[in-house]
Amino acid sequence: MIQFTNVSKKYDNGTHALKDINLTIDKGEFVFVVGSSGAGKSTFLKLMMREEVPSSGTIVVDDVDLTKIKKRDIPKFRRRLGIVFQDFRLIPTMTVFDNVAFAMRVIGTKEKKIRRRVPYVLSLMGLNDKARNYPKELSGGEQQRVALARALANNAEIIIADEPTGNVDPQMSYEIVDLLMRLNEAGTTVIMVTHEHSLVRCFDKRVIILDKGSVVSDGGALIREAATSHINAVNEISNEYVVPPEEDYSAYAGGSDSAESFETVEITEEFTVTGGDD
Amino acid sequence: MGNLGYLTKEGFRNLKVNKLMSVASVTVLFSCLMIIGIAFMILVNIEAFISGIESENVIMVYVDMDASDYEYIKLGEKLRTIDNIASVENVDKGPAYEKILSELDDGLRQYLSDLDENPLPNAYRVTVSDMAGFDNVVNEIKKLSNIQRVYENSTLARQLESVRNSVTYISAGMIGLLLIVSLFIISNTIKVTMFSRRLEISIMKSVGATNSFIRWPFMVEGIIIGIIAGLLATGAVWGIYEFALGSFTTMLSGLGGDVRVSFLDYAPYLVAAFVGIGIFTGVFGSATSIRKYLKERKFVELDD
Repeated sequence: MIQFTNVSKKYDNGTHALKDINLTIDKGEFVFVVGSSGAGKSTFLKLMMREEVPSSGTIVVDDVDLTKIKKRDIPKFRRRLGIVFQDFRLIPTMTVFDNVAFAMRVIGTKEKKIRRRVPYVLSLMGLNDKARNYPKELSGGEQQRVALARALANNAEIIIADEPTGNVDPQMSYEIVDLLMRLNEAGTTVIMVTHEHSLVRCFDKRVIILDKGSVVSDGGALIREAATSHINAVNEISNEYVVPPEEDYSAYAGGSDSAESFETVEITEEFTVTGGDD
Repeated sequence: MGNLGYLTKEGFRNLKVNKLMSVASVTVLFSCLMIIGIAFMILVNIEAFISGIESENVIMVYVDMDASDYEYIKLGEKLRTIDNIASVENVDKGPAYEKILSELDDGLRQYLSDLDENPLPNAYRVTVSDMAGFDNVVNEIKKLSNIQRVYENSTLARQLESVRNSVTYISAGMIGLLLIVSLFIISNTIKVTMFSRRLEISIMKSVGATNSFIRWPFMVEGIIIGIIAGLLATGAVWGIYEFALGSFTTMLSGLGGDVRVSFLDYAPYLVAAFVGIGIFTGVFGSATSIRKYLKERKFVELDD
């Protein structure tokens, strides 16, 4: 269970990133966190990972009070989280297997356990035949699945996905959210930050909307329409939102027509298979 | 202990990934250590030279050329009565001259022996038992009659003492400065390595690796740089020292006392010190640069 009580965060430079946030995310819940850039999404995540401490209020994650946790206990706390980043954060010089194993090695897992666990999480993500490939030989969607496998490697109780679909095409985006859904059905709490309103609309889950540091809407299916209209409104007023400067849209390079991008994916996969046989 | 193996392997990998930077820092640290080593060997030599002279607690008392043989013997008796004297030894001019002649080349020896005249005075070789009373003994001797000249090494020793002191201060300062430089260099190398591996560090932090786990490979890297530079520097100092010894021995022995400091006597200390310095700079260099890096709270790196 994640509980934010009267949480505010003000940075040293004066930015008031979050204002008086009160919310509870139950164990086993699936939550979308939506908001435009600058709304406080990443501060929200940083607080949850204990990367930042709130200026006021308390955050409790699974009975751990993050405002009181000792510094040396932070690494142990983070092992309960599985974090997925928008830019995948895969190590280019390591194979898929080693990328996943890396997360286990760096917390001191025994090699024997790693050899059992990694193939299992890779199979969950449908990546069995890619274990020996390097990240650059994979499509964006596959890379994100590797990142997801890595997040699962250490048996995370909570998956925190930060714009996991930001760098992949719509088909893959849908599949990734679908994978997250399945993990959620298996009991994992999933918190996914996104700004892709069309994606959020497809799934009947709780949506928390952040705007200028406050929760402007929090609810399930009933307020999905409200969420959508909010996002649309933001879309209209903020150019930044439409093309956030920090984001890489190279994944969409195949063209705006979705049929075209499917073709691209297939070609990439064929290429990878031949590459692997060499 | 599998972890330790993995972490150490990572340290070696760091070195390979940053080949150029590793070579650069080994070179610079090596140069620093070599200069330290040379300064140390110079110091050791001066030290050995001075103590060699000091331990030669010998006073040469040259007898007046005009003094008769009886006066020569009488002077010897008087010398033996002085307190704090260990021994008084006759140095007769005849055997002394022959000894000098035998060391000369043939032509010169022939010429001098043809002169049939011994230019040397008779002398006594006096040794002192307690060095603290050395100056008193010299003064006592000077009061005696029939003495041409009293020669002792203490003046030279005292002059060298002041040289030694300044050399010690200068080398201490230099060694200190070079240590700081070495530390700076190692920490810089590790900063570069860390920058090039910030992706891995961010992943490690996000999956909950402890700081010490993140730190270890970088420490290993620093230590390896330190050890390699230390061993190379020892070898280099050895080579330079042996070379220098060949050209300077004659000059030093001319000043008196054949002091020959063998490098191998000091090699274990030097190796220990160099590897120690290497490890120290490796550990501290990496520790300081990592602390800064680990403090940076931006593994999420989102604009918000």
